[in-house]
Amino acid sequence: MAVHSQVNGTTAIPWRGSRRKRSLLEQLKDCQDAWCPRAPWDRDRAHAAMCGATRGSFLVVRDASSQPSLLCVSTGAEDEVSEYSINCKDAVFQLSESRLSFSDLPQLVLFYSLTRDVLAVCLAIPHWMNNVTEMNNDHLSQLEPKTWLFPPPEQTEEIAHKTMSSMMCSIQLTSSNGAMCIINPLYLHEHGDDWLTQRAPACQQSNYTRMRRLSTTRTWAGSGLQSKRAISLDQEPSAASAESSGLTRARSADYPPTPPTPTTVVLRRPSRDLTHSPTQRASTGSLSTPSTPGNTTPELQCHSSPVPQSPHRVSWIEDGFWLPPPRPSSLLHPPSLELDSLSISSIEEEQDFQMPSLTSHHPSAHRLADKVIHRLSAVGQALGGLICQKKKLTYRVIELSEKKNGAFAEAVRAFVETTHKGGTDPSRATGSEFLQEVRSSLTSLRETLLDYPEIHTLLESITDLNDSEIDSLVELSLHKVALKPVATHLYTCIRTSWTNDGSFEKLQSKQRVLEKNSVEELGGSAGVGVPDSVILEQIQQRWTTMHETYSPNKKVQILLKVCKSIYHGMSANARSGTVFGADDFLPCLTWVLLRSDLATLQVDTDYMMELLDPAQLQGEGGYYLTTLYASLYYISSFQERLAVRQLSVEAQHSINQWHRRRTLHCNQSRRSKHRRTIRRQAGQEKHIDALENETESNTKALQWERKDVEQELADQSPTSPPALDCQPETQQEDITSKQEDGLSPCVEAEEDQEGV
Amino acid sequence: MAIRELKVCLLGDTGVGKSSIVCRFVQDHFDHNISPTIGASFLTKTVPSGNELHKFLIWDTAGQERFHSLAPMYYRGSAAAVIVYDITKLDSFQTLKKWVKELKEHGPEDIVVAIAGNKNDLGDIREVPMKEAKEFAESIAAIFIETSARNAVNVEELFQKISKQIPPLENPEVESNESFKLTRQPAPSARRCC
Repeated sequence: MAVHSQVNGTTAIPWRGSRRKRSLLEQLKDCQDAWCPRAPWDRDRAHAAMCGATRGSFLVVRDASSQPSLLCVSTGAEDEVSEYSINCKDAVFQLSESRLSFSDLPQLVLFYSLTRDVLAVCLAIPHWMNNVTEMNNDHLSQLEPKTWLFPPPEQTEEIAHKTMSSMMCSIQLTSSNGAMCIINPLYLHEHGDDWLTQRAPACQQSNYTRMRRLSTTRTWAGSGLQSKRAISLDQEPSAASAESSGLTRARSADYPPTPPTPTTVVLRRPSRDLTHSPTQRASTGSLSTPSTPGNTTPELQCHSSPVPQSPHRVSWIEDGFWLPPPRPSSLLHPPSLELDSLSISSIEEEQDFQMPSLTSHHPSAHRLADKVIHRLSAVGQALGGLICQKKKLTYRVIELSEKKNGAFAEAVRAFVETTHKGGTDPSRATGSEFLQEVRSSLTSLRETLLDYPEIHTLLESITDLNDSEIDSLVELSLHKVALKPVATHLYTCIRTSWTNDGSFEKLQSKQRVLEKNSVEELGGSAGVGVPDSVILEQIQQRWTTMHETYSPNKKVQILLKVCKSIYHGMSANARSGTVFGADDFLPCLTWVLLRSDLATLQVDTDYMMELLDPAQLQGEGGYYLTTLYASLYYISSFQERLAVRQLSVEAQHSINQWHRRRTLHCNQSRRSKHRRTIRRQAGQEKHIDALENETESNTKALQWERKDVEQELADQSPTSPPALDCQPETQQEDITSKQEDGLSPCVEAEEDQEGV
Repeated sequence: MAIRELKVCLLGDTGVGKSSIVCRFVQDHFDHNISPTIGASFLTKTVPSGNELHKFLIWDTAGQERFHSLAPMYYRGSAAAVIVYDITKLDSFQTLKKWVKELKEHGPEDIVVAIAGNKNDLGDIREVPMKEAKEFAESIAAIFIETSARNAVNVEELFQKISKQIPPLENPEVESNESFKLTRQPAPSARRCC
């Protein structure tokens, strides 16, 4: 890393602490008796002491032989304390659930304070520890566990004055050609680049905390952590501690712990959350994590020694730089909070418009090694090129929609006008019917748009997206010009229709009945976790964002983020290896919904259900949307008496109405499957034409009517699940008689749909 | 090679190991081209089948009886349903029969039904004789297999059998030609496409 050249827009954050201060590791050692108290402290006493402690507060309990045996961590939710057993053999310390091992306890604690790994939350080391100097260091050895957990005010006060210089770890943001990447300073420290010593305005504290996250879902491709490097976790590395401290590398069965392997780069794979820059806001989870082998830069893996495989990998302690994202070693591990799996569009697009540029204020000469720069610019250009195409499409569509006398502009104007007029007449259409009309109008708008040869040319020129991604792109541009102006009106319509038929009232009364229920009472298996208060708060914010988002596709992406948080909460306290499927997810989602604004969620659900591009309904988004719908339905139709046995006839009825729509959507997406399997060529617009025509006719053929109870009851019987067998007999007869009145055309239509 | 997306719905009592089977299936031969999903309730996996690639979109359902009525939302549009029971729990086999009945009556036409007797590593506390289950499966022309998600027994085979039962697209043009126009009259095989 001897060659330097300039990277524009580099933000360096100081990471070295003041020289006068003792390293955190040393301090932890000094006050070990405070967080790892000796007898008579035991598990119960530790639990009692941790009541009300902040999230991440921890104590280590010793066993009878005075060996550290149990790590108790406060999860921050209702005095809940998670426990992790500690194995210590032959001066090697590790959590029994993890294979990362450490040569002493303070190192273990320090490590888990930086990275969560198998824990539910990062360990929180009190902030005042950062400000302990030689002067007051003597107090540390006399610190009591109580004081450790609940520092007196004067110590907390210091937190307020905490300076950036007390941070142990920070990040380096660089931007080159629009690509932003995150570089862990440990790497640079280890390899001696000098640019970090230039201090830049410290504006990135939030990133500091973000950096502390890590994923446990990745396989360990690295050879472990060299003790010399790991000392850089300390503020003040010293020669003496350099030998003794550090994380002994991860052990795995096939790789015994003895000689520390020299290791390599400590770089964090850029995560989706961190990669937004104004220049790439219109992109792309999948792009921000270079995922193809082609992006691998072997030259950046400074050490080429073969790496042993170990099941654990900490995302920011990975070997190699732009390695393809590692696969989860097992799906049984809790998924990371970042939603790396999503692609196509940035959910934060709208917000990002307001984000100040983080990258362009530092023109001073920040340096990176040439190779890094080269790589950054390559990635940046790749991203830039693609973003350009996507933006071009959006801009073009916007232009077309504003062009005077243009066919598309006229169509958009008519759409907005009609939509604004529609949905208000209570005697006419129900909310869902109206939304279906909107959907089919959107579809015809798309046809109009695709009639433009220039749009074709533009789409043809996008070579690196598959057909479904291109479809989403077109859909998103449409949403921007057509749905954005009418979204608020549509919300009002849905809300009115739900309010008028009393459904909201019902939903909210059921919410009051159910909200006290634990997740077990809602059907979850014992031991399944729920999101803690922090995550729950985050989820509420996401719901808000979801409501503010007008594009149904983007709403679904946000829903997926929420689902990911819920999974995270579910597995937080679980034994590693536990699989949580729908048996637990549905109750957990229901638990979360009961703590949310159900009315708004119902509006958003309807909005998504009816307006989402049908092609998306079978994928992951469709699955979780279905589950959201199901869960809302479960709540609104909950009846205590019948709770265990079944849902009411009424519930069945509404679900059947819903079937009809699903069937419709399904058929649409079946057809579009054909499209997905091929590259779009000249015949493109024809088959889209065909498809959309069918969509429209299907929609018309299959309007469903919420209010037509009689009809629905008649329909329902032939399609109702066996649970109906348990209905009281009178009801059953009633239904049968209605059924005999006629297998309605509606049912036949439905059957036809299936047959198509 | 064409990729066909096949929706597969997982049914069965809670605790019979629905998700474990799928996790085992997806995890053992991880498909590096598919981005990981956010949780175990929805998983995907692509396997080759003849001239095609089958991408299974696997929809898990909540097996508790209280959620039974929500199942139609999930099995609608499925190309196949895997109904799982626990060979050590007779009750779960009774539930399975209910699901079969429901699917026959209300499920998608031509849905491929597969019956999986899970936990066959616990043969010593078996409550459902293999013969009985097999005969039942034959009587309804369903795929039958006993699996052990824990020991990775027959999991792969289960999905291979499903793959084989999915009829290939009939239109040869569709298979051989990289591009084709979707006509206004979709091919009869279209309905099997999801």
